[in-house]
Order: sequence, then C-alpha cells, then structure tokens
Amino acid sequence: MVKEIEVEPVTRLEGHGGLRIVLGDDGKVKDAQFNITSTRFFEKFCEGRYCEHVPRITPRICGICPIPHHLTPTKAVEDAWGVEIPEPAYKLRQLLQNAKQYSSHLLHFYALAAPDFLLGPFADPALRNVVHVINKMPDVGAMALKMMDFGQKLCAEIGGKSVHPISAIVGGMKKPMDEDARDRFLRQVDEQIEFTKKTVDIGLKVVEDYWDVVANVGVVPTYYLGMTKNGVHDIYDGDIRIVTPEGEKIDYDVHNYLDALGEHIPEHSYATHMYYKPAGYPEGIYRANTLAMINAADKMATPLADEALKAFREKIGPISHHTFAYHWARLIETVESIELIKTLLEDPDIVSPDCKTLDVEPKEGVGVGVTEAPRGLLLYNIWSDADGICKKLNLLVATNHNIAGIEKSLMHTAKQVFEDKALEGLKLPDPWIK
Amino acid sequence: MPVLPALDIVYWPAVVDFKHDSLKARPDGDILVGFVEGSLRTNEDIENAKLMRNKCQLIISFGSCSCYGNVHGLANQWDIQKAINRKFVGAESITNESPHEPKEHMPGFTDKIVPLDEVIKVDAYISGCPPKPEAIVSAVQFLLGQKPFPMNESAFCADCILNNENCLLEHGKLCFGPITSTGCTLKCTNNGDPCVGCFGPSKSVSNRVGKLNDMITNINQLSSGDKKNLYEFLSLFLNVPLMAGFDLSGDILKQIKIKGEAKTTLTNLPSETEEISSKIMKFLRDNRDFTEISTVCDTCPRIINSNSTMTKVKRDYEGLPNMDDCLIEQGYICMGPVTKAGCGGLCMRVNAPCTGCFGQTEWVADQASRYADVAIKGFNVALSKDELLSQVKDHLGTFQKFTLASNKAYKGGE
Ligand code: SF4
Ligand code: SF4
Ligand code: SF4
Repeated sequence: MVKEIEVEPVTRLEGHGGLRIVLGDDGKVKDAQFNITSTRFFEKFCEGRYCEHVPRITPRICGICPIPHHLTPTKAVEDAWGVEIPEPAYKLRQLLQNAKQYSSHLLHFYALAAPDFLLGPFADPALRNVVHVINKMPDVGAMALKMMDFGQKLCAEIGGKSVHPISAIVGGMKKPMDEDARDRFLRQVDEQIEFTKKTVDIGLKVVEDYWDVVANVGVVPTYYLGMTKNGVHDIYDGDIRIVTPEGEKIDYDVHNYLDALGEHIPEHSYATHMYYKPAGYPEGIYRANTLAMINAADKMATPLADEALKAFREKIGPISHHTFAYHWARLIETVESIELIKTLLEDPDIVSPDCKTLDVEPKEGVGVGVTEAPRGLLLYNIWSDADGICKKLNLLVATNHNIAGIEKSLMHTAKQVFEDKALEGLKLPDPWIK
Repeated sequence: MPVLPALDIVYWPAVVDFKHDSLKARPDGDILVGFVEGSLRTNEDIENAKLMRNKCQLIISFGSCSCYGNVHGLANQWDIQKAINRKFVGAESITNESPHEPKEHMPGFTDKIVPLDEVIKVDAYISGCPPKPEAIVSAVQFLLGQKPFPMNESAFCADCILNNENCLLEHGKLCFGPITSTGCTLKCTNNGDPCVGCFGPSKSVSNRVGKLNDMITNINQLSSGDKKNLYEFLSLFLNVPLMAGFDLSGDILKQIKIKGEAKTTLTNLPSETEEISSKIMKFLRDNRDFTEISTVCDTCPRIINSNSTMTKVKRDYEGLPNMDDCLIEQGYICMGPVTKAGCGGLCMRVNAPCTGCFGQTEWVADQASRYADVAIKGFNVALSKDELLSQVKDHLGTFQKFTLASNKAYKGGE
C-alpha cells in the first residue's frame, strides 16, 4: 500500500505550505513534495500602477522581508528610467537593508530555529516555541529580544515603519536619518556587537553538539545562487553569482539573469521551482539564502565576519552542502550586518540632506533590480512606459529559489529517515532546556 | 510580546508547533479568540476561515488583508484567469514547454478577493498594514478584560452636583454619569461639563439611565459633536482601543457574555450599560459612512493651510517636499484626509504621502471623486475637481490601493 505522510501546515515558516512524503509498498520513498498553496499575483496587479508606487505595494509580499521588497523594485525602476542616486541615499539603503538582515536573521535563529536545538526535536510540541525558550532561558531570551528590538527599531527609524517601509523613492530616499536618532543607535551599537558575539558562541556550541546531524543529515550537493560585489559578500548591490556543486563560481550581470535562471512550473506547488538554466531541470536545482551566500562569497565585507567565514571553511571546506549549516552561515551574515551597521552609523553621509536627486524623469524602458533578502536573492524586472506606468513585472522571490532545493533536501532526508533509518543511529545531545 | 507569556496559544503556524489536524480535532467554540489574517485568494483560505469561525468564540479580522482585501484586491480588475496566466504561463523566466496552473494537491483560486466578513461573521476588526502592535495588545487586553476598571457600586450621578433639576440629561445634553463608576476626582459636572465615562462602568446604574438610553436609542438625532464624542466615550469607558484601527461589531458584548468563558468585567456589566454600549458600538459599526471619525490628518504633524498650494498634481518621485507643510498642499496625493486614523501618522514623518493602508473613512462608491472633494474643500488646492482627477493616471491604484475588494459597487475593469 502506498502511504502518504503529510505535515500540514509546516510551522515556523512564513507563508503557507505543507510537506508530503509518499512511501511505496517497499518502504521506499517515492516522492517528496513541498506544496506551497498560496500566491497573490503581485506580478499581475502591479500592472497599470505608477512605477514609483510599485515599491509601496510589493512589501506586502512578505511580512518578514518587506525591506528588500521595497528597495529592490525601487532599484529596478531607477534602472529602467536611468536614474542615478546620490551617495548618501545609497548608504541609507545599505543601512536599512542590513538592519533588516540583522533583525530577521536573529528572529530566525532565536524564534524559528532555536526551539528545535535548545529543546531538542522530540520535545512536546506545545512547548517547542520561542515563548517557552524565553521563559526557560531568561538571560538568552532577554538578549535575543534586545537584539531583535534594536534591528526592528533601526528599520522603523529609517524605513518609516518597521514592517512595510516607505522611505525609499525613485531617485533616493525621502529623508536623511535624524541626527538625534543616529546618536541614539550609535550609543547602543557596541553592546549589540557584544551580543552578536555571544550569539555566535551559542550557535557554535549548538553546531558542536549537533555535529552528527550537521555532518550527516541533509547533505545534498546542489547549485547555489548568491550575490557578490566583485566577489565580496554584499546584500544590497552586486552581480548574480552561481556556485556549482563542485564549487566553481560563475558571475552574471543582473540584466542577463534570464541566461542563468530558469523557472520551472511544477504540478504541485504555487511556488515555482527555480534552477540554473545551463544545467537544465532538475539537475540545475539550486539553493539560495545564507548558505548559498556564504558559498558564493570570496570574502566577507567586514573583518569579524571574514574571520568567522574562515573558521567555517576550516571546519567544512570551501563549499558546504550541509543543510543544517544554514544556521551557521546565517550567523556569519549576522556578524557582517552589525559591523556594517556600525560603520554606516558612523558615516556623516547618512544624515546629509543630499539624499534624493531631483533629476528623475520617467521614460520607456526595462529595468532589473536585485538585492539579497534574508531568505535569498530577490529580483524585480519591470517594464515602464513613457509615462512611467508599470506595463509588466517579473518577480523572482526568495521562496521560489529555495523551494526546489528544499524539496531536493527533503527527498534526500526522507530517504535517510525512512529507508536508511539514519536518524536512529544519530547522536543527539541532551537538550539545553528540558 | 508583553502579552505572549500570559496566553495559551493553540494555533499559530508561523510560531507555534501545532498542526492543522489539531485545530480540526478541537470541539467547536473551544478557542476563545481567533485572529484571522491574510487575504482570501484560494479556496483553502476560505475553508480555513470557516474552520476558524467554528473553533473560535470570537473572531478578529486582523490586518487590512482580511478587513479590506489589501493590495491583493487590485487583482479584481481582471478575470482571475489573466492573473493565473501571467504567473504560470507568461512569466519571462518560465522554461516549461507547455506551462499551466499547478493543480496537484493545490486548492485553486477564488474568482475575486473579498473581505473576511463576506465569508464568515466577524466580531472585531483590527485594520492596518501592518496593524499597530499596540492595537493587538490592547485588543487582547480589552477582550480578556486585563485592564481592571475600578467598578464601584454606584454610578457617578450619586456624586454629581447637578443631580437635581439642573441635570444635564434633563436639558438634552449627553451625559454618561448614569452608567459610570463613582470615585473620580475630576468630576467634570462641577464645571458644567458632561461626564464622558472615563472612570469606566459602575456595578449599578442610576435612576437617570432611562433618559440616557432614550438619547442613545435615537442616536441619529444627536448633534454631530456628540456623535464624534461617542468614539472617545467607548475608548475611555470600556478601554476599547479605537484609535488604532480597532473596530467592533455591534454585539461583541453579548457575544462575550453568551460564550461566557472570558471571565472579564465585560461579562458582568449591568444590562442597561451593556445595552447602551452595544447600541453605540452598533451605530459606529453600521455607519462606516459616518464622516466624523478621526483621520490620519488628525495624527499628522504637518501644517494644513500652510504657505504651500497645490497647483498641479505631482508624482511621488518629483522634487523633495519639505517636512513641515501638508503634502497635499505641496502638490502630492496624500490619502490622509480619507483614511482612518490608527497608524499615528507614520508615512508623513518620513516625508512620504499616506497611501491609505488603514482603510477608508467612508465607503461611497466613487473614492476618487470623494477624495477630490475632500482635498479641495479642506486644503490649499488651486485646481478644479476635473483638473485634479485628470492629472492622476492610475485612479484605482491611487485611491483604492488597499480597499478595492471591499468596494461593493466596483464590478471589475479599469
Ligand atoms: S446624568 Fe450627568 S448631569 Fe445628570 S446627574 Fe448624572 S452625572 Fe449629573
Ligand atoms: S493630507 Fe497628508 S500631509 Fe496633509 S495633513 Fe493630512 S496626512 Fe498630513
Ligand atoms: S500614513 Fe497612511 S499609508 Fe502610512 S501607515 Fe498610516 S494609514 Fe498607512
């Protein structure tokens, strides 16, 4: 008898989705599906809108990554209209993007992932959540809340709202940062760096404890999709970089994204499957997000993060296919973001009134904007008419990049679990919270 | 976050590990409060909403998606098939030979986006995109009665110096003394001002309650100033957090009482108090066209009747407005005057016009025309209505970005 195992919904995931694993008579895994059951058709209803309004609509695609969904279409429109933004605006956007990265990565680490690691995967589901972690580890909980709060407040300060920002506009930013606010954040930033170091320590301890899982479960060679600026890790601006399963790195100018990225419409998910076109489907399935970014980078943009990258490579090698190493990679990116936040806060440009160019004229054109959102690469391809009305929009969002890769690792892990009974022999540590 | 540890969360897919089946397995009405968020785009969204209604005693429509359909409602412009084709067939990056809509284990799409209350009965609304965290906290505190009222035995009339032939109610002035708790030190009636209920409900009512009830029964005859004060009354009297996009169905008090599990002050109100409060709530809910509710302008720091005047409609990318003058007067379309207050005037503080995410203050069909009327009447605008409207090229996206799905008069098309 064919048996289907369904997990509905997948929890601690933003968006709606279910897992379906199909087992055959022989106990062999026949199929593993990640069924994403929601989509809202942003690419359609942005048609007919003013191009400059698109960045005020699209943040609603995701409550977790609204800032990249605000900045990326703004960049795409600027590209289509040939608009250059002033340096202070560029820095403010970088700061905003990194503030989001910081709070989002920490949210992911502490609220979404930590419950599994700190309580152990077999804890009572009623307790396996962030509230319980906060109750049981008040010091860590308080620190985590303070960190997320710092990031969210910084997002709100620059973006205007912590969720669904409004401050970027075609041509720059609507407003520089207030000096008072800048000083307030500067006063806290050193403490945040210390917190980040402590978080990394916790993370590394978890990696150590779960090394058997990290090294053996869900180790799936795939392609990776990331972004770098001249080879350096960058989440606001750069070229698309593909990493092959063997570790070869190939760069694409964002305008040539169609040469690199193909979209396969599956039968069983509204989130489409992205893959590396030259390798074909499904061979070219890639993964995006933190591990991909870390695999893509030659180096990190800041010193502490670069050290962390080196430590990672010493342990795992130049390229990592370890699904569970995503958490580690995320921490390396967190370090970079807080270092960049500090550098940018210290830069007088961010309070400069020269934050928007007045030289903006709509024109007929096609533009591409790319940033790295906390969940993976984000790409907007917009078509503007001469009046600056959006005629067409193509969107490649973070989730799409990951779905096919997630399915691939799911298939792999399902085989490990159901066929090889791999988990039974795994060494799991005593949970930190019992 | 501050209320989280006090709650027993049974189903919250983004944070807590309970699977769908565990929700289905619960008896109907087992859960006290359910927040339903998100727009209703797929058949599964509709089923889930119905499931939540069955399992929860109180349903809160949470966020502008479920309250109004949000930006997703802009898709109502087209037949759904066009949207499906754009995404699953026409997208430039697609490589399938014959791409089509995914169907295997997929729920399928609804023809149009509709607000949640067209699918299930809703008890309270918290709008906003996103809603203010304060609104969530105060809504929960309100529903669970976490903010204590003094709730003394007798009503304020007992302490009132006008409790004689000078009683304000007897002179046709709205005064909430008959249902308000004694114990306040301000005693508004000492200065001849009516009691606005700020001390919360009393355990018993005064003998003047009949007069108050009569006035509220004929609520439409109240002066416009009094009507406007009803909002303030509710928020002070019952701690209803109305200023953050929180909005109630008329019978929430009854609902709380019947379902009864919430042991809050709200379940112990004198029946007259409950009746009067419910009538006010119902009035405010049914009169979405009631023009006097607060707008975003009321919470905006900018100067109206400033030195600037709109002489042409500017697009958002044009120029860079100053931080002091009203954005309409500087030439931009700001939806502030037609948008419900609640956000605290966020966008204007970073120099961006309001786009209306907390929802409209009125629900007449032609939002563009209404907007032009309001802007020309209340602001320095040197354009005629026709000029103003013809200079805006995208009417739906400008005037109904968040609310198109709740415009019942709109039948599709551009
Ligand atoms: S109704 Fe008002 S004015 Fe009249 S006695 Fe009561 S508190 Fe005083
Ligand atoms: S129209 Fe806009 S800018 Fe002007 S007062 Fe109202 S909210 Fe403020
Ligand atoms: S100003 Fe308008 S668009 Fe901005 S948050 Fe408030 S209601 Fe929403």
